[in-house]
Amino acid sequence: MRLGPFPRKVLQLVATLFAVVVFNFLLFRVLPGDPIQLYARSGHLSAEQAEQLRAVFGLDKPVVEQFWIYLKGLMHGDLGFSLTYRQPVSQIIVQRLMNTLLLLGAATVVVVVVGIVLGARSASKRGSRLDSSTVVGSLALWSMPTFWVGLLLVFVFGVWLDILPISGITTPGAVYGTPLWSFVDVSKHLVLPTITLALVDIGQFVLITRSSLVDVLTEDFVTTARAKGVPRKRVVWRHGMRNAMLPVVTASALYIGLVVGGAIQVETVFSWPGMGELTYESVLRRDYAVLEACFLLFAVTVIVANFLSDLLYRRLDPRVRAA
Amino acid sequence: MDERAGRPYITRREFLTRTAAGVVVVGGLPAILAACTGAANTPEPSSGGSAAGGGSSAALRVGWSSEPDTMNPLTSYSTEAQEVLQLVYDKLMEYDAQLAAQPSLAESSTTSDDGRTVTYTLRSGVTWHDGEPFTADDVDFTFNLIHDENLSQYAQWLADMISAEAQGPDTVVVTFKKPQAFDPALAIPILPKHIWAGMKSAEIQKFANDEPVGTGPFTFGSWERGQTVTVNRNPDFWGTPAGPGSVIWVLFQNEDVMAQSVRTAEVDILSEVPPTIWDGINGADQVKAVSLPGFSFHHIGFNVSEDPASGGNPLLLDPVVRQALSYSLDRNQLVQIALAGHGQPGSVLLPPAMADYQLQIPEDQQFNANPDMGNQILDQAGYAAGSDGVRESSSGDPLQFRLIAIESTTVDVRAAQIFRDSAAKVGIKLDLETMDENTLGSIVYNADAPDWDIFVWGWDSGVNDPDYLLGVPLSSQIGGNNDVYYAEPNYDALYDEQAAELDHDARVDLVHEAQQMFYDSAAYIVMWYQDKLQAYRTDTWTGWSDTPGGVIFNFTRANYVNVHPV
Repeated sequence: MRLGPFPRKVLQLVATLFAVVVFNFLLFRVLPGDPIQLYARSGHLSAEQAEQLRAVFGLDKPVVEQFWIYLKGLMHGDLGFSLTYRQPVSQIIVQRLMNTLLLLGAATVVVVVVGIVLGARSASKRGSRLDSSTVVGSLALWSMPTFWVGLLLVFVFGVWLDILPISGITTPGAVYGTPLWSFVDVSKHLVLPTITLALVDIGQFVLITRSSLVDVLTEDFVTTARAKGVPRKRVVWRHGMRNAMLPVVTASALYIGLVVGGAIQVETVFSWPGMGELTYESVLRRDYAVLEACFLLFAVTVIVANFLSDLLYRRLDPRVRAA
Repeated sequence: MDERAGRPYITRREFLTRTAAGVVVVGGLPAILAACTGAANTPEPSSGGSAAGGGSSAALRVGWSSEPDTMNPLTSYSTEAQEVLQLVYDKLMEYDAQLAAQPSLAESSTTSDDGRTVTYTLRSGVTWHDGEPFTADDVDFTFNLIHDENLSQYAQWLADMISAEAQGPDTVVVTFKKPQAFDPALAIPILPKHIWAGMKSAEIQKFANDEPVGTGPFTFGSWERGQTVTVNRNPDFWGTPAGPGSVIWVLFQNEDVMAQSVRTAEVDILSEVPPTIWDGINGADQVKAVSLPGFSFHHIGFNVSEDPASGGNPLLLDPVVRQALSYSLDRNQLVQIALAGHGQPGSVLLPPAMADYQLQIPEDQQFNANPDMGNQILDQAGYAAGSDGVRESSSGDPLQFRLIAIESTTVDVRAAQIFRDSAAKVGIKLDLETMDENTLGSIVYNADAPDWDIFVWGWDSGVNDPDYLLGVPLSSQIGGNNDVYYAEPNYDALYDEQAAELDHDARVDLVHEAQQMFYDSAAYIVMWYQDKLQAYRTDTWTGWSDTPGGVIFNFTRANYVNVHPV
């Protein structure tokens, strides 16, 4: 029996996910240093106590058995038990995930929408002063280190002008009269990290949109449309942009994956309690269960985003469907 | 584990290295930030610090750079958790703002003539935060639980305990095998029997204790993970009610941003300030930066294990080689370069905050900053220079050693580089390798076969008593804290003697003698004692006491309780 393209894609997706789960599990067990030792080493625990702890957390069992237990739990949505926080991992991760989604959601919208608009404007006025300054500006921003831009914004807006909070997601100890004030407070805290992410990441979307659209705008059907008297704006957005979308969609899918790395830096600078910060702390503490869950989530995000962009390709471009 | 020395000890080593890591990481931009901010406008009181400075319900906001691990005092190992829990749980005795021992849950204590039995008379009318009455049974329960199950960092203080027994509702009698110079009542938090009884040891290991119930001046509020921990004033506290209506610890992932937050009044006090930023903060409006003697040091350790399984270079077993290396290094230079001057040059095991317990060795008797002397003793011992300038033993083995340091602890790496260059001046070659903390720890502490020569790391005393740091090089601590495998029966004997000496002056003499003995062995090069650098706002809270060891993050909780709104 031959599988259709859609079931085949889904099968590939599942196989990739399983490979990620296995790799993920093994990765943290071949790293030097184990979490119990991290406690025991600094002299807190006797060997006997260390063994006891190992047994409590199931780390005394053979690796294969540990993996089986992990896999069974995973199927039931059980991501394991955090050795550091002494809490189920899922409980720890949900809130962090929400915070990261809030930050990334805001940033992604700004980056993609503004990036595409600037890129399209630049392409349609190719060679103009606006075009060259947009390109230079994009390249300059793109090459700046994220944390450095963040610190600069902290200094300018937080310390010098003193108009925006520099860290966290809410004001500590604040009591809100109405939910509206809570919303305002979170929004204020969202400004600087979002701007940081947007500044650093917007360049790539500008450049990709521009170069893709510049190519399309030189094609015959565009000349034809122009000749027919279709207004310039309409030519760029309806005729040109639709055909220039493929690289932009790819970039967006990759961005969702890449942004996790960028988010770790932004979350660290602004003490945003998200996934990046959790990952960082957990690496330091060798908290296997939390790390596995974080990495699994990152991998799933990338894989699913790519899967969706694959599907979107087929909708956007009939040539892909035919292939 | 009959020996006191056999106890596992609590360490604040992790906290220490993290603090130090901030020192050099902050290199360029933040230093500029700190410098520029001198010209910045006066920050307004923070918008949402709704409560700050506004009367008795005001919140005291503390900035810290790391989260607690868990609120379970019997499984926690983080300094941050201790900082929170010491406000929720009382001990039988507490340190005041001058670090003098004061009665707390125990109104008084008497020690028997042989020093082995201590009788604590408890305060009456004390209730737990959930309303249950506090009694001697709770103390009896806590001491026995920790001792019998060998639970937690506190078990070390009860290793010599024979029994703890409630006699009536307000008396507890604790009997030890030998007199205790350090009173465990100053360390152990008292837990409510009605909550903890009935849990097995394994259950306690997994217990998150998300709502700690104690008898302390603050009741537990909430822990928003990744953000804040909040405690609220306990209106029914047995003692003087705390000044702040609540205390909120705010987590900062970035130390440079954290340092700025005290300027922008987002927090009232910082648990730590990187040395390179300290000067800039010190000049800021309404902010006082303090530099206090600390309870910690960084050191270079030599593998002196005589175990045949040891992979260490046997040439390091010769004290002359170690002393020559010690002579080659200039501690003053280290303090200037690594700590921006915020510390004291190192010598003995005990840091300056230990007051009279610290042995003062006259400068001309120290193995310090004297490469000529190092060359001289090596010449006398017959280590002649080889063809490549590296000295060799009489059997032709070169004085060449491996040196390891933690790469993320930038000050240690810098110190290791300076040490490598210094050693060359006495004809000794060091090969430096850096690695992550976990890896270095597992190499150094591999007691079965320690395969290394020299490392750089640090210690922070877990208690306000010489006992902890002095106990590090005990032979019984091999496999525990003893990171250089020093084994000297005379040292062990001296340690045991001081640990059971109840007369202060007599104990000071013994403690000095032990420090001198270990110093002469040159198994450690104590490089420096770093100062505790903190900063607080002067326009929100008042009544801070600049306690040695730190305004906060110290052995005393007094500052949290004593401050009041401006």
